[in-house]
Amino acid sequence: MITRRQALIGGAATSVALQAPALLAQPREVVIGVIFPMSGPSAQIGRDARFALETALEIVNGQYDFDLPTARHAGLPGLGNAKVRLVFADHQGDPQKGRAEAERLITQERVCAIVGAYHSSVAATASVSCERYATPLVIGDSTSPNLTRRNLKFFFRTTAHDEMFSVAMFDFLDAQRAAGKQIKSIALFHEDTIFGTDSSNVQRQLAKARGYNVTADVKYRANTPSLTSEVQQLKNADPDVLLPSSYTTDAILLVRTMAELGYKPKNILAQAAGFADQAVFDAVGDKLGGMISRASFAIDMAAQRPTIGRVNDMFKARANRDLNDNTARQFMALIVLVDAINRAKSTEGAAIRDALAATDIPGAQTIMPWAGCKFDKDGQNATANPVLIQYVNKQWVTIFPAGSAVRGPIWPMNG
Amino acid sequence: MQIESLLQVFASGLLMGLLYALIAVGLSLIFGLMNVVNFAHGEFLMVAMYAVYSLWVVTLLDPVLLAPVATAFLFGVGAFAYMGVVRFAMRAKSNVSMVQIFATFGLAIFIQGVAQYFFTPDYRSITDTWLGGKTISIGGLFLPAPQLIGGLISIVLFIGLYLLMSRTDFGKALEATREDQGAVALVGINRNKVFALGWGLGAALVGAAGAVLAIFYYIYPQVGGPFALIAYVVVALGGFGSIFGALAAGIIVGLVEAFTAVLIPPSMKTIAVYSLYLAVVFIRPNGLFGRL
Repeated sequence: MITRRQALIGGAATSVALQAPALLAQPREVVIGVIFPMSGPSAQIGRDARFALETALEIVNGQYDFDLPTARHAGLPGLGNAKVRLVFADHQGDPQKGRAEAERLITQERVCAIVGAYHSSVAATASVSCERYATPLVIGDSTSPNLTRRNLKFFFRTTAHDEMFSVAMFDFLDAQRAAGKQIKSIALFHEDTIFGTDSSNVQRQLAKARGYNVTADVKYRANTPSLTSEVQQLKNADPDVLLPSSYTTDAILLVRTMAELGYKPKNILAQAAGFADQAVFDAVGDKLGGMISRASFAIDMAAQRPTIGRVNDMFKARANRDLNDNTARQFMALIVLVDAINRAKSTEGAAIRDALAATDIPGAQTIMPWAGCKFDKDGQNATANPVLIQYVNKQWVTIFPAGSAVRGPIWPMNG
Repeated sequence: MQIESLLQVFASGLLMGLLYALIAVGLSLIFGLMNVVNFAHGEFLMVAMYAVYSLWVVTLLDPVLLAPVATAFLFGVGAFAYMGVVRFAMRAKSNVSMVQIFATFGLAIFIQGVAQYFFTPDYRSITDTWLGGKTISIGGLFLPAPQLIGGLISIVLFIGLYLLMSRTDFGKALEATREDQGAVALVGINRNKVFALGWGLGAALVGAAGAVLAIFYYIYPQVGGPFALIAYVVVALGGFGSIFGALAAGIIVGLVEAFTAVLIPPSMKTIAVYSLYLAVVFIRPNGLFGRL
């Protein structure tokens, strides 16, 4: 005869026994560090990056019928449906703070990998710490070419770098010239940190190699209060194409100063950065009709690939703006990293590194115009082919290369 | 380079210099009055720009009309900064100058934080203004309307400031307080009141500059930094506490900056400004027109 007490104990024991396997298989948590400028002059970039990464996180941790890696499972199936958690750190655009924050994320927050960093200068220092602690660093949006030329094993970059972008820009100029348009002279206008310097170095070499005459080469001080003398030099040179490499603040000041000094460039072909930032177009968009920028992201491709539009809707609900060049790449960096962790079935740095090195995501499973995501031996995604976009009637239209173009360019831009 | 281009560079440098002078004179005034370097000066400029921006968003009135409001508002901000922060920092028993530096520096970080909280770090711009984007062209010389009006406002305010300091009882009280704080108390002048008014006046001047700047510049929480740096150089160059020195030094810095940007790579244009400053410090440590 079983007493009531025995029945209760038995019942309790049974329920514990039934729950035990579930407890053992309790999904672990995957902790990923995020390092962006959350305060200081580039704080808006960090703020938008946070929206982009939280959008990616929602897709990874939830179940969505999107054509993206790991989207169709809630959590990571390779790790018992573990959920991902992000730890945000602020580098303020300062390379030393970036290095210190990367170390803090690794040693104190115990993150298994890090995503970042916007500023190339910060990516350069943070990557050294990551290498030392054997923790993978996935860079979505820092484009200095030298970053992937330092024989680092734990460094991966999903975006194209400035050399690839500049080559695409000059391919476009060649195509225009071949089509009978007059392009003889160009002017370089670039800021004086690693981004502008590297960008202009590549452009200078390409111009020489492909026979373009550089009539002005203006290296200016970033965040300067005045650009009048600099613009005066551009005006005197009056090149066929102006190639600026500027961040947001300088881009606004450049466009305003050009208008004030009565200088209307024949064509602008920009190295994105500030010229991909909505703040510039809110401020001086009326003066930028027809300008062309290199880009990694083409929102008008949403017509062909519905996932882009749906991800954009989720992002817009958070950030109250459309995905742009920066946020789309930051989003993709986290997706690529999470896909690797899922395949590694581990949160060990070395295992994730190997999985990242073996990454092979077809372009159709990204929100980018890339051929895909596949890293070369330096950790550079060699298949991240850039596009050129033109600002027409307050909309971005993809105009180059032919495979991605929605329609041909308006050239000259005021034309 | 053609004569036309050089004239253009001269005009641009002169107009920018007048604005630098207007930004710097408030700093100079406060220093001359009580030997306090205000490290939140750039933030006062930023507050003025946000004040104009906010009023513009709400009322859609032109920034030129809003400039007096911003100037008055900044007067309040300056007086409040003295009464709420600096007054207490000055009571320190030892290391007074250090305490003052850290107090105003802390104030700067606090104001930046508040601006970032309420306005977000996004870059704001005022569009569709009467002056914005307008340019007066004389024989190939382009004079942007905002800077031109800004230069005129700067000159008018400098004349007004000169008259205020030399012809009114308030000016005399400021001058007397600067010379002997103990003695003015004996004749019934309230030191705190004079200092608060001095801070208010200094901030109001930078407020007027901010209102002009808001027409053609972008606005974000750190916008004051580069201007404050130039203001410190202008004050040191012109002489601490000298109103005329600030005007002259502002114009000198504007011109030197504009011309060096043409002669050497523009990324190094500040080098010429700081070299000039160093030369003045070596030859005339009090600055060009300094009395201290």
